Amino acid sequence: MTATELLRVANVTKRYDGVYALQDAHFSVDKGEVHALVGENGAGKSTLARIIAGATRADRGQIFFNGEQVSILNPLDAQRLGISIIFQELDLFPHLTVAENIVIGNLKLEGRAFVNRKHVNSWCRPFLEQAGSVNDPDAMLRDLPIAHMQLVAIARALSLEARLILMDEPTSSLFGDAVERLFTTVTRLKQSGVSVVFVSHKLKEIFRICDRITVLRDGSTIGTRDTSATSTNEIVTMMAGRPLKGRPTKKSAASNDVLLAVSKLTTGKIQDISFDLRRGEVLGIAGLVGAGRSELGAALFGLRRLISGVVRLNGRAVRITSPTEAIGAGLGMLPEDRKLQGLMIQMSVLENSTMAVLPRYQSWGLLNRQRELGAMEAVHRRTALKAASPDVAVSRLSGGNQQKVLLAKWLLAEPAVLFLDDPTRGIDVAAKEDIYEIIGAAASQGMSIIFVSSELPELLRCCDRIMVMHEGRSVGILDGALATQEAVLALATATAQPLETRPRPV
Amino acid sequence: MKTKVVNTEPSPPAVGATPVPSSHRVNRVPARRILERFQALAALVGIILIAVALSPRAADGSNIFLEAGNLTDILRQVSVVGIIAVAMTFVILTAGIDLSVGSILALSTSVVAMALTRWSPPLGDTGRIALAIGVALAAGAGVGAVNGAVVSVAKIQPFIVTLATMIGVRGLAKWLTDNANIDIGFGQDVPAVFAAVISRKAVVIGSLLVMAAVFWLVLDRTVFGRYVRAVGDNERAARYTGLPIGRVKIWVYTLSGLLSALAGVIYAAENHQGNPNAGIAYELDAIAAVVIGGTSLMGGKGSVSGTVVGTLILGILTNILRLNNVDSNVEMMVKAVIILLAVTVMSRRPSE
Repeated sequence: MTATELLRVANVTKRYDGVYALQDAHFSVDKGEVHALVGENGAGKSTLARIIAGATRADRGQIFFNGEQVSILNPLDAQRLGISIIFQELDLFPHLTVAENIVIGNLKLEGRAFVNRKHVNSWCRPFLEQAGSVNDPDAMLRDLPIAHMQLVAIARALSLEARLILMDEPTSSLFGDAVERLFTTVTRLKQSGVSVVFVSHKLKEIFRICDRITVLRDGSTIGTRDTSATSTNEIVTMMAGRPLKGRPTKKSAASNDVLLAVSKLTTGKIQDISFDLRRGEVLGIAGLVGAGRSELGAALFGLRRLISGVVRLNGRAVRITSPTEAIGAGLGMLPEDRKLQGLMIQMSVLENSTMAVLPRYQSWGLLNRQRELGAMEAVHRRTALKAASPDVAVSRLSGGNQQKVLLAKWLLAEPAVLFLDDPTRGIDVAAKEDIYEIIGAAASQGMSIIFVSSELPELLRCCDRIMVMHEGRSVGILDGALATQEAVLALATATAQPLETRPRPV
Repeated sequence: MKTKVVNTEPSPPAVGATPVPSSHRVNRVPARRILERFQALAALVGIILIAVALSPRAADGSNIFLEAGNLTDILRQVSVVGIIAVAMTFVILTAGIDLSVGSILALSTSVVAMALTRWSPPLGDTGRIALAIGVALAAGAGVGAVNGAVVSVAKIQPFIVTLATMIGVRGLAKWLTDNANIDIGFGQDVPAVFAAVISRKAVVIGSLLVMAAVFWLVLDRTVFGRYVRAVGDNERAARYTGLPIGRVKIWVYTLSGLLSALAGVIYAAENHQGNPNAGIAYELDAIAAVVIGGTSLMGGKGSVSGTVVGTLILGILTNILRLNNVDSNVEMMVKAVIILLAVTVMSRRPSE
C-alpha cells in the first residue's frame, strides 16, 4: 500500500444465491482523488460500493483503509472510518425534514436529549450550500423532487465528515446547472483532501471530473486507467468486452395525422401547455428539474385535477380522470420512479410483464400460464431482456432489466400514446442503447411516444421534436433538425427568447 | 397497516446473463419459492413430531395424539377459525386487515338461529334450512361489503374501519337477539335437523377444505387473485397500471364477511345456539394463523396453503397442550411464544 493510497480492496467475492456479483475484485483509491467505477449492469460496481460502505458484507476479501486492514461489517463501521455513500435509490426519510434527514444517525450529535430546531437548521446550512442545494432545511423531504433529494443526500455525506464519499449514479436526476454545482462540490472536496468514488455510466462526465477509471465486468476488475491516458472507446470496450455498436442515424417515423392534441392544459403546477403529437412521433420533453415535465404526464394520465385545457385523441375531446380511464383511452405511462410507482417488487418478471393486460390470458376464468408465458417471451425478445427465469422476483433484477420489464408491460398493452418519464435513469450504456432501439421500433410501428428526460444527448438522438418546459410552461418546441444542446439549454434556463408556444403547423 | 419502506433492500445484480430457452423453463418454479413452502411444511412437521413426543399414552401404550379420533378432532376444532383465516389471507394480502370477523361470526350465528327458530315459511325442511343459511351468509357478505366500500371509497385505514365494524356489528347482533342466546334444540324440528347435519365432522372439515381449495385456486390462477397480490405489493403502481383497486378491495372484504358468516353457521350448528357473544378474539386467532403461514402483514406476499399450515400448527399446539392438561392461561402464553418463534423462522431468508 503506497503512501497516497487511502483505500484498497482486494480479492472481494460476493455471491447472491449462486450468482457471483463479485469475483476476486480489487480496487484502490488514492487520497484526494476522484475515481470512477464503471461497468455494465450486473458488473458489480454497486455491490462493491456497498461493501465498502458497509451496507453489504463480502463473502471473502480484505479492505485496507489508511494502511491498516479494517473490518467493515455495517454502515456504522464505515461511518466511523469516514466512509460515506450516497445511494442511487436514496436512503432518506420522506416524512422528515431536510435538516432532520441530515442530522439523523450522526454519531457526533448523539447524547443530546433535546433537539433544538434552529440550531439544527443552521448547522445544516453550510453542508446544504456545499452540496448545491437550495432547499430550506425545514422543507419536508417528500415534497421535494428526486433531484433535490439527491442533493440533500450529498449534504448528509458532507456532514458526516467523510474522507471517502462513494456516489452511486449521482447525476442520474440532475440537469444543467445542478450537475455543474455537483462537479464544483466534488472539486472542492478533492482539494480539501476528500476522495470521491463515482459509480456512473456517464463517460462524458467521468472524463471531465475523474482522475482515474476502474472498469468492472461480470464481477471482476478489468483494469484501471488514468483518465488522461485513455479514451471513451477504450473504456467502453473494456466494459462491454465487445466493440460498441455505431450510433444509427435516426429516421423519423412520424406520419402527418395528429393523434393527440393538447390545448392550454393547466393544473396546479403547469400552465397553458399546448402541443400536437403525431402518429409514430417521438416527442421529447426537456427542462430543468421542477419544470413540470412529470406533472404533464400525471395530468395526461388522469392523476391530476385539470383547472383548464382540452385533450383531444383522434380529434375527439376526452376527459380523463383516472389512470384506468387513461389506459382505456389508449394512453400508457412509465413513471419516473420504477420502484415506487411502476413495479410490484415482490412479484415475478412474468407477473409484472403481463399486469396491464392480464384478462387477455384467461380461459374459463382461469389464467393460462402457457399463453401468458408466450406473450411475455415475445415481448421480452423485443426488449432484449435477460432474466434466468420468468418466476424470479423483479427485486432481484438490475435497474436496467427492471426498466425493461416495465417497458415490456406497456408494449404488451399497445397504447396509442406512451409517456416515458426518464426511462433510462440509472441504467448502463448497453441497456440504454437497447431502450433507444425499443423506442425507435415502437414508433416505427405507429406508437406515439412522449419522452421525458434530463439527458439532452438522448433526447437529441431519439426525438423528432423536443418541447422545452420551464417553470410549468412550455417555452418552445424545437424541430429535430434545429435542436442542439445549446438551444435546448438556453430555453430550459429561460436565457433565450421563448419561441411561440403554439406548435408550428407541419 | 401499510408502512412499507421502499428504499431498503439493495437489489442484487442481474440473475444470469444468457437466456435459457423457454422450452426448458415453462413449469419450473425457482428453488427459492420451493424452499419457502418447505419452511411452512417443515414447521408443521416439526410441531407434529413434538406433539407425538409429548403426547400422553393410552392404557395400551398407544399414542393418544396420533389416534384417528384425535386427529380429526383437531381438524374439526380448527375449521371455524380456519375458514375465517382463509379469507383473511386475501384481506392481508392487499395490505389490509379485518378485525370484524368475530363479530360477523356472532351476527351470523344469531341470524341463522333466529331464521330457523322464528320463521316458518312454507318451504319444506331443506328449504327452510337453506334459506336460514342463505340469509346468514348474505348478512355477513353485506357487512363485508360495507367494510370494503368504506375502505376503498372513503379511503380510511382498514384497521380503523373494521375496528368500528367490529364494535357496531357486535352491537347489532346483541340488539337483534335482545342479548340472549337463541337455542337450537336436539329434537326433530327444523333447527335441530340443521344442527345435526351441519355439525357433522365431514361437513365441518369438508367446508374448510373446500374453501381452502377454492381460495387457493382463485389466488393462484385467476386475474382477481393476481390483482389481490398486486394491490398489496404496490398500490400506487397498481393504480398507475389501471388495476380496478376499488373493486378488488370491496371483494376481499366481502369474501371475508361471507366466510366469517359461514364459520358462524357452522358454529351455531356445533354449539346448538345462536350466540351474539360468540367469536370474541377470533380475529386474532385468524390473523395469527395467516401470519404463521408466511403471509406478510405488509401485503403482496403470502399463500392460502401457508394459512392452512398455520391453522394446523395452532390447532396441534392447542391440542397437545390440552392433552397434557396444561392450564388454559399457560396455554395462551405458550401460544404467544410459538407465534413469535414461527414468524421469526418464517421470515428468515435462506440466502442472506
